[in-house]
This record gives sequence, structure tokens and C-alpha cells, in this order.
Amino acid sequence: MKPFALNLPFLKTPTATALLPTGASALVFIGVSALFFALLGHEPFGLLWQVVLGAFGDKYSFTETLVKTAPILLCALAAAVPARLGLLTVGASGQFYLGAWLGTGIVLLLAETSGLVLLPLMLLGAALGGAAWSVIPGFLRARWEVNETLSTLLLNYVGALIVEWAVYGPWRDPGALGFPATRVLPDSIKLPTFLESRAHLGLLFGLVLAVGLHLLFTRSRWGLSLRIMKSNRKVAESAGMNYKLNVILIMAIGGAIAGLAGMCEVSAIHGRLQPGIALNFGLTGFLVAWMAGQHLIKIIPLSLIMGAILAASDALQLFYSLPAAIAVVLQALLFLSVLAVGGFLSKRKKA
Amino acid sequence: MELGVFIAGVLLSGLRSATPLLYVLLGETLTERTGVVNLGVEGQMLLGAFAGFAATVVTGNPWTGLAVGALAGMLLSVVHGALCLGLKANYFASGVAVWMLGGGLSAYFGISMVGQRIDGFAPIPFGALAKIPVIGPAIDQITPTVFLALALCALTGFFLYRTRLGLYWRAVGESAEAASTMGIRPLWIKWQGVLAGGLLSGLGGAALSVDYTRNWIEWMTAGRGLIAVGLVIVARWNPLLALPAALLFGTTEALTLRMQTLGVNVSPYLLGTLPYLVCLAVLIYGYRRARSRGGMPRDLAAVFAKTE
Amino acid sequence: MFSNRLLNLTWKSLALGAMLSAAAVSPALAAKPKVGYIYVGPKTDFGYNYAMDQGRLVVEKKLGVKTVFFENIPENAEVERVMERLINQGFTLIFATSYGYLDPALNVAKKYPKVTFMHGGGFKLAPNLGTFFADIDEVEYLAGIAAGAASKTGKLGYIAAHPIPQTLRNINAWTLGAQSVNPKITTTVVWTGSWSDPTKEAEAANTLIDGGADVLSMHVDGPITVAQTAEKRGVMVTGYHADASKFAPKGWLVGAAWNWGELMTKIVSSVEKGTWKSEHLRGKLSDNYVKLTGFGPKVPASAKTAIAAKEKAFKGGADLWVGPITAQDGSVVLKAGETLPMAKIESMNFLVKGVVATIK
Repeated sequence: MKPFALNLPFLKTPTATALLPTGASALVFIGVSALFFALLGHEPFGLLWQVVLGAFGDKYSFTETLVKTAPILLCALAAAVPARLGLLTVGASGQFYLGAWLGTGIVLLLAETSGLVLLPLMLLGAALGGAAWSVIPGFLRARWEVNETLSTLLLNYVGALIVEWAVYGPWRDPGALGFPATRVLPDSIKLPTFLESRAHLGLLFGLVLAVGLHLLFTRSRWGLSLRIMKSNRKVAESAGMNYKLNVILIMAIGGAIAGLAGMCEVSAIHGRLQPGIALNFGLTGFLVAWMAGQHLIKIIPLSLIMGAILAASDALQLFYSLPAAIAVVLQALLFLSVLAVGGFLSKRKKA
Repeated sequence: MELGVFIAGVLLSGLRSATPLLYVLLGETLTERTGVVNLGVEGQMLLGAFAGFAATVVTGNPWTGLAVGALAGMLLSVVHGALCLGLKANYFASGVAVWMLGGGLSAYFGISMVGQRIDGFAPIPFGALAKIPVIGPAIDQITPTVFLALALCALTGFFLYRTRLGLYWRAVGESAEAASTMGIRPLWIKWQGVLAGGLLSGLGGAALSVDYTRNWIEWMTAGRGLIAVGLVIVARWNPLLALPAALLFGTTEALTLRMQTLGVNVSPYLLGTLPYLVCLAVLIYGYRRARSRGGMPRDLAAVFAKTE
Repeated sequence: MFSNRLLNLTWKSLALGAMLSAAAVSPALAAKPKVGYIYVGPKTDFGYNYAMDQGRLVVEKKLGVKTVFFENIPENAEVERVMERLINQGFTLIFATSYGYLDPALNVAKKYPKVTFMHGGGFKLAPNLGTFFADIDEVEYLAGIAAGAASKTGKLGYIAAHPIPQTLRNINAWTLGAQSVNPKITTTVVWTGSWSDPTKEAEAANTLIDGGADVLSMHVDGPITVAQTAEKRGVMVTGYHADASKFAPKGWLVGAAWNWGELMTKIVSSVEKGTWKSEHLRGKLSDNYVKLTGFGPKVPASAKTAIAAKEKAFKGGADLWVGPITAQDGSVVLKAGETLPMAKIESMNFLVKGVVATIK
């Protein structure tokens, strides 16, 4: 197939090559969504502008975007870290719930303890909960080659049900008139927020983890060994590397991050454990990780864009009386645009 | 005898509720056999459910509904094919995008379908069969979509293992490179796989809305399309094992609901984890026995291993 | 990250250019309150949210106020963002229609004392937050009479999502109503675990029917799937939320439906006039905030008489929750003549004798 020949010299400069995918994707996205809206009889650009405003227009919108970005970022990392070893896990939402569950359990058990001790303990518990939920599929993969995509997928549903069992059952707040939630957790464990908004420490965790893990994976010996294990397991094992142990370890790290995301949401945003708090952070995180090519640093801006779309979607409902489904379509169109442009450009490169 | 009757009842109701799932399972099995993964089956199922329901509302004919639903699923799968096969996009990401698109579009356009009433299929005259004590009424509940699904299981199995084209499909799934040296055009075969998958998942969605629930609401598949993708692995990419795999999930679900009516004193949420845990257990058992890829076509394994 | 900022800039400049020629989006200010509605599900569910939205439409028509609605907003802190956006746009009355919005609403109410909040079904108040609901359980009792009279097997089936007090009230009221006709009536409950999952609802209905139930009812978001399944299997059904009789022309007995329009209009008027008070507004059958839908063909005449009599009694002030009432495990909840205080009703956590279900 003859590639579409664009022979403009400025397009070949390094800056242009770096920006081209982003710019082109943005243009395709704007074009496709504008077309979609126009076909539905709405004024397209005003609508898109509302989305932008809804995400970044004022301080409140911006901080709400940050609120959404934090869990997406963490869940994206939860998918990207195991990918280091070539593992394809979609289990972030189950790990999110287990982290929230264990963290909440610790807080409920030790509610009287000072926040100085309880907060870190709670976060540790959350990390453990998420890690445990991820280690199960990791172990199954290491020991019996059980496909981790399927096992994490199934455990997602189980994780959500465990939280539902807890909040409708033994942990249900008797004072909440039967509403499925634990009692409101003590203020001592509320995560610090910034900018006088709901934007919380979880975002900082995500940023530190992204940069830290990126450096770890690219600069350390362990990171190198992971790369070897991923590309050729037999060679790595004959060189003495323990593939199976690394599978479990890397899954544990990924799970811990997702578990952390869960407890951060509970502690900073909801104030109690309830069902349905994972929304679709797991899925969105997975998608962000893939769009970023599993590159831990690229995940950061992509998470922000995704957070923006999710936070801004109610702007569309508010101003244009568009049904909630529109936000989903928009997200889909964005992904499709990025994928299409990415695929097209990589095809050109190969040709 | 009591127990036998109980089990038969559970199996039949499991079959009933798992039928839409079975269509998607068959469709995705076919797709993955050619070496393509399509996570977008959930979106195709949703679009099929909406389109099928809408067509039935308009024409009053459920068969038309099934056909239109299948067509809608197939059309959506074209997007996935174009992205993955045409533009070499990542299979998983594209699938999820297609899933969201299908869900969002069906939720948006389906608004006019809420509260619409359809008649569904006329009951099949089972005659004497329906008079068998206790399981008779369960047999009576079997509708044309169940028969169609069973027929399709056999048909796809026959196609894959006994026809030349089926052989080409399997060859492409094992190694597109080797297949092309044999003169097969892998890209064209993969397109066929994707479209067939789209057709069947759209059909499954339509079966859900037009036949099983006779209702349409947004996001009505509740993740079943995705479960089907998982069950493909449980069925070891073999259409003939699709029925047992789907039944595994369906009957466990039916069983947990029945347990509620028998006054079993366990939280319904914990009971609800059973279908997933049972699938997981079967999966583990299968892998332990085979100690291998578990029947996965080789090229597909490469797709799962590739993470870029 | 640099490319992301550039991306944003590109978006903004492109859109700005287009915007210059586009109409500005600024909601027109009016003297009347701007009213916002928040729903937990889609307004097209033909059930709970649909009923709320019907109320909104009545308000718009009767009072000519500007209303806006949000759908699919989850019952957690997410809703705070939606409320803040509404307030930023000058909305001064917000209907938070789903139970789980209570605490988030209280949080936002504290921040914006000039905005009025009306919460559906809650039991906490704030100076600028009141609650509204309607005792639909009275209507469920009446529907139960029809179910009890029509049932030939004496077994009823109930499909429910989650064991929250409103659901337990409905199940109990329905069962008590049925037992007033046939004391041996049992109600088996299947929990689907989801407010909206048609496959599970159909399966639950089938399971109950297989087990011998010949009248069904439900408390899920939308009554259609259960009604259709009941009709398919030739059993009877009483409805909830909205009139779904057209889906079960043969099997439909009667239904319990919401009628929010009047109550909401009253509330909006009071805000407009400045007479609004923070209180728990509870509608009853007598206020017409809930209603019984029409009867289907299979309701026996004796049932219709009994229902009419009981309806009159309720409208005259008779209590629904009055003893003797026994719980599932045999313990006495209410002795003869004792009544249940509102707080206990709204936090109901037991099921009456004759109900087969687990509510752990």
C-alpha cells in the first residue's frame, strides 16, 4: 500500500516528530466529535469548548480534573508495571476494591489510634490488600501458566462483591438508615488536600511512583533483568534469573498501587467505604497505559486528559442537556482517534 | 429422583440465561482462532441489543430483530478491524474503544426505545415434552434463540475442524507467516474472523433484548460480553466446548439464585462470587492438566505477550 | 508533559476561534428559582428516575421555571461536583433524588447557605436542606391484597436489588397486605445485587416461578423485565414505580406508582414565595403523592372491595405499621395496637414472618 506522502521538511524535525502524534490525534478527535455533534444537530465547537472549560476553565474545574486524574494515574500504573514482564492484567478495579476494603478494615478496627500512626497503617493496609489480590493471579501464572488476563478479570467481579458484602453486611453503618456504607471514617485518616479543593495527596503518590518506578525500570539492574526476562524467558532463567518470583513480585507492586488508589478515594473523597467507588478507573487506567505504550512518564499527561474528559462530562449534561451517554461516546472517539493516528503513523514508519 | 429433577431444572435455566453469552462466546472464539482479540464484543453485544430491539419494535418480527442486531454487531466490528488490521493499532486498546463506542451509541440512540413493548417469539409447541413432570415447564421455556445457539455451536465446530476454510483460519491463528507461505491471505482471513465475531456478538445482544428479557435499557449486558471473552479461554478456543463453558457460568448463577429461594443463609453477595470462582477453578484445573498454553493458538499467544 | 500543554493551547485557540462566531452560552437569568435535578440512573428507566423526571416536567409546565437534570450520577462524593457546578451556574434549588446523595448534599449545603436542597428519602436536616418522600408502602399493602387474593399457590415472589430499608418496607407491606387475605401466604425474595440488570431480573423471576410463585413484584429500577417475564410464563404481577400494565396485559394485577409532580410543584412554589421550611415532607396516599394504578383482568371482585375499604382507611389516617407484627424469626416486633415511629420505619431492618430471604 502506497503511504500517503507528506513531504514537508518541517515535519521531519525532532520536535515535530514528537508532537505529530499528539497534534494529529487532537485534530482527528476534534474533527470526529464535531462531526458527531453536528450530525446530532448540536453546535459542535461550542460544545467542545464547554468540555475544555468544564475541565480547565476555572480553579474548581481544574481541581476536579486533578481529583479524577489521581486514581486514573494510579490504575494506569497498576496496569503498566506488570506489563514490564509482558503480563497483561486488567485487575486494577478488583485490587482497588480490596485495597479500599483492607484499609477501611484497619481504620474501623483501630479507630481510636492517633492519625499519625493510623494513616500510614491504613495506606500500608491498602497496598497490602491490592497486592494480595494481584498476587493470586500472579501465583497462578507463575505456577501453572494460568492466563492472568482472565484471572484478574474474574477477580475484579469478586473484589467488587466483597466490598458489597461488607457494606451491606457486617460493616454496614447502623446510623445510615440502611444505606450501604460503613460509618464515616474519622477525620484523622483523611488524606491531606491542596489548593483548598478536593485534590489530594493521592496525586502526589501517583507522580512520585510514576517517576520513581520509571527510573527504577530503566536505570537499575533489576529493570534490566526484567527486560531480559520479558524478551526471552529461557535465556534469563538459564542466566539464573528467577522468572516466577519476579512475576509474583511485579504483580504485587502493580496491585499495591491500585489498592492505594482505592484507599485514597475512600479517605480523601468519600470518607467511607461504599460500593461502586471504582467507577471505571480500572478500565480507564488500563486504556491510558496502553495508549502510553506502557511508558510510565507518558502515562502522566494522558491521565490528565482522561481525568479532564471525565470531570468535564457533566458540563455537557448541564449546558446542552445531553444524556450521560455522550461522555462515553466522546471518550470512545478520543481513544479511537489516538489509536487511528498512532496506527497510521506507525504504518508509515514501517513503509 | 428429587435431586435429578432439581439439577435438570438448574441446567435448563442455566442454559436459558447463558444463551446470549453463548453467541458471544462462539463469536469471539472464531475471532481469536484467526489470531485477533476483540474486547469490543461487549459493545457489539450492546449495539446488537439496541438495534435488534428497535427493529422488532418497528417491524413486530423478532426474527428481523435478530438479523438486524447481528448486522449492527458486524458493522461495529468493522471499526475494530479497520483499526487493528488496517491501521495496525493495538488489539486490546482498540477493543476497549469499540466497547465504549458501542455502549455509548446504543445508550444514546436507545433512549427512544425505553418503555417500548415487543412480543418476542411465539412459544414453541413442545407438545408431549412440556407435559413431563417438573422439568416440563422448564423445557417449555426454551425459545428459538436457544436452539439457534445450540445449532451454531455444532456449525462453528464443524466449520473450524472439518472444512478447508476452517483449516485456513486455524492455520492463520497458529502462524500468519507460515500460512501466507502456503498461499493463504492472512489479513483477509482475520477480517473474516473479526466480522464473524461481530455478527455473532450482535446476535447475542439481540437474543438478550428481543428474546430473553424482551426489554431494552442502557448497558443491559452488565459485563457479560467481557465474561464471554474470558470463557473463550476456559473453552480452550474450541467451539464444541463453548456450550459447557457457558453452562458452567450460567448454571452456577442459576444455582446461586435458587439457593436464595431455598432460604440458604449466606449473603447474596458472597453467593454472587460463585460463578466467577467456579470459572476460575475450572481454568486452573485446565491449566494444571495441560501444563501448556492451554490450547491457545500460537499467534494469539504472541498477541497476549506483546505489550506495546 | 510539554506536549500536553501545547495540546491544551491548541485546543483552546482552535476552539476560541470557532467560538467567536458561535453563540455565547450563558443561561438567562430569571427571577424564578433555577431548579436542578440529579438522578442516580437514566431518566428513561421507566422506574424510579423516570418518575422523578415526570415530576420535573410537571414543575416546568405548571410553574414555567427553568429546570436542568443530570443522569447516572453515582451515590457518592461524585455528586458534590455536580451540585457545585449547578450552583456556580446560578441554580438555587437542587433536588437530590436518590438516597445516597444525603451526606454529599449536606456537605455542599454547608458551603452554600443561600441554596436550597431537597433530598429524596433521607432523614437528616440542615437549615437549607429538607427531605421529601412518599409512603409508597401503603400502596404496596393494597397491591398485596390483590396479590394475596389472586394467588392460587399461596406463594409470592419478589425480585429486589439490595436490602435497604425502603425495599424491606415494600416487601413487608406487600406481604402483610397479601396475608390479610390469606394468612398462609409466603413471599420468597431473590436479590439481584444490582438496581438494573435485566438478565438477572429475568433469571430471578424465572427461578421464583419455577419454585411455585404465581404472583411477582419487584423493587428494581425498572419494572419492565419482570413484567414481561411474568407474562411470558403466564403468572401474575403487581408493579412498582410506574404503570407497566401494557407489558403484562393478562397478568397485571395492579401497581404502586409515584406521583411526584404535585409535591415538587409545592416545594418549588414555596421556595419562590420564600415560605420554604427545612422539614421532612412525607406524602401519603391521601396526598396523592403515590397512587394505585388501574386494575388488571385477574383481580377478583372481593379484592377490589377490600382494597377500596383499606384505601379509605389509610386516607382516613389509619396506620400501616401497626401490631401485631412478627418478624421472620418469630420474635414480636409490634404487639397488637402498637405503632412504629417514623424513625424506625425509615430504618426498617427486619422482614415479617412469611418472607423467605436473607438480609445479612
